Amino acid sequence: MTDLYSRVMRYLSVDHPTLALKQLPVAMAFAIGIALILLVPDVIVVHELAASIGIGVMVGATVLAAIFTRVERLERYAIAIPLLDLIAIGFFRLGTGGGSSVFSALLILPVVWIAAERGRRHIIIAAVGTAVAMFLPLITVDVPSISSSDLLRGFFSPFVFAIAAAIINELSRQSRVQLESIRRLADDKEVILQRTVEFANQLQDSEAQIRAGDRLFRNVWAAVTEQSIIGSSVTGLIDNWNAGAEKLFGLSSEETEGKRYIFEFHVAAELNARSRELNYPPGETVLNPGFSALVESARLGRAESREWTYVRDDGTEVPVLLSVTKRVDDAGNTSGYLFVASDVTQSREVARLKDEFVGLISHELRTPLSSILGYLELLRDDEDNPLSDEQNHYLSVAERNAHRLLRLVGDLLFTAQVESGKFPLDSHPIELDRIVSAAVESARPVANAAGITVEQVLPDVTPWVHGDAIRLGQACDNLISNAIKFTPRGGIVTVALAAHNGSAEITVRDTGMGIAASELDQLYSRFFRASTATRNAVPGVGLGLTITKAIVTAHRGELDVESEEGVGTCFSVKLALIAAPAPV
Amino acid sequence: MTEAPPRRVVVADDDADIRALVAISAKRAGFDVVASVEDGDKAWLAIQEHVPDLVILDVAMPGMTGLEVCKLVRADARLSETPVLLLSAAVDEVSRAAGEAAGAQDYLAKPFSPRALVAWLTNEFSGEND
Repeated sequence: MTDLYSRVMRYLSVDHPTLALKQLPVAMAFAIGIALILLVPDVIVVHELAASIGIGVMVGATVLAAIFTRVERLERYAIAIPLLDLIAIGFFRLGTGGGSSVFSALLILPVVWIAAERGRRHIIIAAVGTAVAMFLPLITVDVPSISSSDLLRGFFSPFVFAIAAAIINELSRQSRVQLESIRRLADDKEVILQRTVEFANQLQDSEAQIRAGDRLFRNVWAAVTEQSIIGSSVTGLIDNWNAGAEKLFGLSSEETEGKRYIFEFHVAAELNARSRELNYPPGETVLNPGFSALVESARLGRAESREWTYVRDDGTEVPVLLSVTKRVDDAGNTSGYLFVASDVTQSREVARLKDEFVGLISHELRTPLSSILGYLELLRDDEDNPLSDEQNHYLSVAERNAHRLLRLVGDLLFTAQVESGKFPLDSHPIELDRIVSAAVESARPVANAAGITVEQVLPDVTPWVHGDAIRLGQACDNLISNAIKFTPRGGIVTVALAAHNGSAEITVRDTGMGIAASELDQLYSRFFRASTATRNAVPGVGLGLTITKAIVTAHRGELDVESEEGVGTCFSVKLALIAAPAPV
Repeated sequence: MTEAPPRRVVVADDDADIRALVAISAKRAGFDVVASVEDGDKAWLAIQEHVPDLVILDVAMPGMTGLEVCKLVRADARLSETPVLLLSAAVDEVSRAAGEAAGAQDYLAKPFSPRALVAWLTNEFSGEND
């Protein structure tokens, strides 16, 4: 139904009527005129030739209109059709009595057509067209006589038609303007409607996303049962309390949210001690000073994890590792804090057991080794029964292996100490060149036995660093003995010490078997052994570099490595230089 | 010319072999080992009984620890001049400091060299021999 309507309207559209459609009323009115002549006896043809020309031209104009409608490029000559209509009507009018013809009124149809076209020039075209329609038949056909009234009509009618054309032209211009603005409004409305629909769709999508995000958040929040997550306002009033907190404290969110303050669940003495550490004099802040101490780092935008003690309402205490972060609103202002805590009771117990175990190992392994080494020494020192060279050699082997075992126990203990954070450093200003020289000298016997040259490069000026001489010596020993172990006979190990840009750098370079690039990042892991080490049956357990790394890190230094398989490896230790102490 | 009587020492360590090793070293340095016991309580009884010239104590022992015995020795007026040497398998500075705080003369880390122990004993009492 709508389809049919739109098709008809397209044909009859006043916006874009086809030429054929415009010609239709003229042709029909003309046809009615012919019918009147044939049917009404009073209406007669006075000049057959003129009437015939009129009919012919009209038929021609109608045919042209049909052609022009089909052939688009001819459309710009469309104005010719109403002009031809005017001429046809002019001849027909003359043929049916001229001034007395009943068909003079037909002239108005093409005039309206022309005048309704866009542009004021069509007023002139309409006037001239009318004049031509009046005079052309008079000149071209042989008429008995031209009366003065015919002439007068010939001038007057175009004048009247011109006025009518002007009015029509103006009215149609105005209607066109109105039509256009209506169309524009309609277009705008269409655009706005489309946008509204788009916005509505976007809104729907966003809402779905928000709902999905919200659902995810709720699920995650409910899933965290092993960590206590508590949210508070900027004053410490609790506004969020998760399942983990419920489990830890045995309190529900209804009992705490909006009713309790976070610092009520802390050991007051701990908070006070921390606020003293941070120099918060009591009364200085409107907030609870303990709370200020608790959120100090978070307030300044730093994430902080620190051990605190939570206290339950029944007075029992729970050691926790607590991370405090701030919450911000849309404007970026702090709107509160989040306290994420893990119960460390168990891990503390594990650490305690580990320490106990380490102590036990320390005692139980070192005591028999003490006996072995002590009695071996007694044997060697027995002046009453001196040993043969061969026996002395056997003793050395036993002693060497006992010492090896002792070193291994020492390394194990040391890594355990490093892991538990109980790694004592006895730091003083020390001369690094002495440490390096001592390490090189103590490595020479082993290097000589292995057929490896050890070269030493020392700076002219002594580099001083602040450190533990024994531990740094141990680090150098480890790097040099590694270099020797991993270098084949005939190779060179270069130990260099240099000072530049405020730091001292010890480099230990070898011409050994190297380390695969893929293994470099595991090098400092406990008990890690490079594939080149296992492949070449280099002895060791994989603790030396772990210890070296720990020592260098404890000195706030850097340990770096460069290596190429089959070419060699270079380890470098960087330590901060200090000024040489004034001589005493 | 009469020879001075040998100096008397009480040795305590829960490990019999170490105890014997210390005793041998002490004898080589000219000491008379008047008691060699395996725990802190027995050590304190022996010390009170013998009022020795020197006490050598293992730090980690059953009963009273070496540090506890050392404190008792220091608190006893009769023993105020008696030096105490502590032996320990622990190597860190904290233990050494604890030994010093308890009033020990010196602290020897295990494993120790008997040669070094003899030298220490000889050196510690050399001034009195003159």
